Amino acid sequence: MSRSPLVSANVFAGMAALGAVGVVASYLAVPPERFWANWLVWFLFVLTIGVGCLFIVALGHLVAARWSIPIRRAPERVSGLVLLALPMGLIALLSLPVLYPWTRPEALLKPAIAGKAPWLNVPFFSIRVLICFALWLFAYNLFTRGSVRQDQTKDPAFSVRARGFAPAFMIIFAFSITLVAFDWISSLEPEWYSDIFGVYLFAGTFLSGLASSALAVLYLKDRGRLPDVRNDHLYSLGGFMFAFTVFWSYIGFAQYMLMWYGNMPEEIFWYKQRIEGPWLNVILLLAAIHFFVPFFALVPKDRKNDPRNLRWVAMLMLTAHFLDLYWLVLPVVGASPPLSWPELSFALCFVGLAVLWVRRSMAMGADMPIGDPLLHEGLEFRA
Amino acid sequence: MTDRVFAVVGLFSSAQALMDAIPKVRARKLGTVEAYTPYPIHGIEDALGLRRSPLGGMVMVAGVLGAATALFFQWWMSAVDYPIVVGGKALFSWQAFVPIMFELTVLFATFTAGLGMLLLLNRLPFFSHPVLASKAIAGITRDKFALAIEADGGALDVDAASAALRAAGAADLEVLPVAVAQPPALNELSRSVMGIAISCLVAGYVMYWLIKLFPVLPPMVHMQEQPRLDVYKASELFKDGHGMQLPVAGTVARGYLPYLIESPEQAAALVNPLPRTSEVLQKGRTVWNNRCGVCHGALGNGVPTLTAAYGAKPANLQAQTFREYPDGKIYHVIMVGKNAMPSYAADLTDDERWAVVHYLRVLQRAQNAKDEDLK
Repeated sequence: MSRSPLVSANVFAGMAALGAVGVVASYLAVPPERFWANWLVWFLFVLTIGVGCLFIVALGHLVAARWSIPIRRAPERVSGLVLLALPMGLIALLSLPVLYPWTRPEALLKPAIAGKAPWLNVPFFSIRVLICFALWLFAYNLFTRGSVRQDQTKDPAFSVRARGFAPAFMIIFAFSITLVAFDWISSLEPEWYSDIFGVYLFAGTFLSGLASSALAVLYLKDRGRLPDVRNDHLYSLGGFMFAFTVFWSYIGFAQYMLMWYGNMPEEIFWYKQRIEGPWLNVILLLAAIHFFVPFFALVPKDRKNDPRNLRWVAMLMLTAHFLDLYWLVLPVVGASPPLSWPELSFALCFVGLAVLWVRRSMAMGADMPIGDPLLHEGLEFRA
Repeated sequence: MTDRVFAVVGLFSSAQALMDAIPKVRARKLGTVEAYTPYPIHGIEDALGLRRSPLGGMVMVAGVLGAATALFFQWWMSAVDYPIVVGGKALFSWQAFVPIMFELTVLFATFTAGLGMLLLLNRLPFFSHPVLASKAIAGITRDKFALAIEADGGALDVDAASAALRAAGAADLEVLPVAVAQPPALNELSRSVMGIAISCLVAGYVMYWLIKLFPVLPPMVHMQEQPRLDVYKASELFKDGHGMQLPVAGTVARGYLPYLIESPEQAAALVNPLPRTSEVLQKGRTVWNNRCGVCHGALGNGVPTLTAAYGAKPANLQAQTFREYPDGKIYHVIMVGKNAMPSYAADLTDDERWAVVHYLRVLQRAQNAKDEDLK
């Protein structure tokens, strides 16, 4: 299939380069809070897509799903974004004194923050970040590198090992994604409490992993590299996307409704600054593109496996996940959503970089896990 | 009966043979082509050219209807018909309505899906399908795959249909007559309903007497038997075994403050907190007539309305001593009593005590009026 020159690799390289200039310029020009908040959002965006893909791979191994084997290489490759997120995360540690109130000595005068001081301090925070990255990279090495190696060796021992590690990864994933939510996002306002916040971020993480996997599968199918992947496989992927767009809304609303009902000052301030004034438009847009539009776009059976439909819904879901992170983080910087050349530069830079990164990984191994002993069963799958 | 044919059925020995035969038979356009198989075969709905089920659309409409019903009903109840402010929220608080909207969406959608599938699309109750009465059914439920050419509306050309099926590779052809057992089907339905109803009644009756005659089978009394507090009864919930507990030490009853003043001299410093309005004086007058006047007299001059048998000599409050008493000292006497007079602390509220002090001043002034009072 011929591709328009618009989406050639050079375009993305150009985007990334142009964006990088803008990012450097914004570091010099805009207030540091705004720069680092943008950096944090993009770091979390790249990270959650990568970790979400790791979760999808592990989930397939855990439940021994047959349908996902032929398309498993897509999330395996996209999960390489965790590698890109590593330097972004290490640089993001520089944002701690700028964005996080608990790093300032005067914050310890507030009893709620002082009580959290044993947990929220720069050394321990950095250690947690490093441990999380170590665990994710270990999982990436085991799942993705191991799977690629299996293409050559055809050794079924890898499948057994992956299935053995998958339950452990579920626990690692649950803890680490909760840490990401609590440490990187929730502690921007350290006086705020929400137990369900980790689950909320998990919903967005899984959904963005699914959406990016779907895009990767469609990218390969467009180029005729996945001829054996049928609509039945796409249907299952679409069904998952449908289910978890509902799950995200369910969790998001559950958190909001309880805080709205309780109306406690220590909780509701967080929502007040996110649904009042110009931010109201952002949350309304979020409700539309994170729930209503994908929900109705994926309801009919033949829409869940229609490649054209699936492609734009997946792109919309990634946009929505980004907007979700933007809505979570940026209100600490200002009472109105900042959107100007620094934000556009960040978008250009990291979209370009991430797409280049994923495209490069598309050459990794075969397009299907051809060494998996159960691949033929996956190919026979019918929805 | 041969002119009332429902279908011609032929059997195939594998799913693939059936799938191969379907397009050949359909191409002859002799009637509706239908397949009967022991398990679902992927792709057969496309091969048979089945239209998409309308169930999805019905469920969507029902779901939206459920959400709208819940929203409308809750808005009408809590903002129109019986508006009560709860927790300081607006009368129309959509956030609180969402869980019910969600529930009704699911309820309407699942009922539509289940009942619509069974009753509307599968036309239950449907007691006798011709295929169920055929010889082929034994094979269809085991290891054979049947293809049927069914009469749609008009008559079916049995010979042409048989030839078409045979040409497509079918064996064991069978001509199925239209089922005629419709009226008994209704009787069967009413018999089943009656049977279920009678079983329920009998089961309930037996259970009732079993529980009554054999107390080994306890009735469900968990709610009565749970640990709880009964007034004037012993209870295991507290260490001292009493169901009713004394108030916590230092508890103050509503409207009553502890009175810490011990001597009239201390009380002299108290200031009457009430203004001298006609309302307050009316209140004081009521209290005076109900409580004080009985002994001290309607004018406060110590001439009681009691009989002489009472014996005690109530104070004449018009005397110089009492006219010069500070308000606080009078209040103190009401609180703690004096000589034969008991305390009225428990009988009067604080406001009533201070009101009657004001009223006593009115009585004293009225009996000792000055010239300028006439102006």
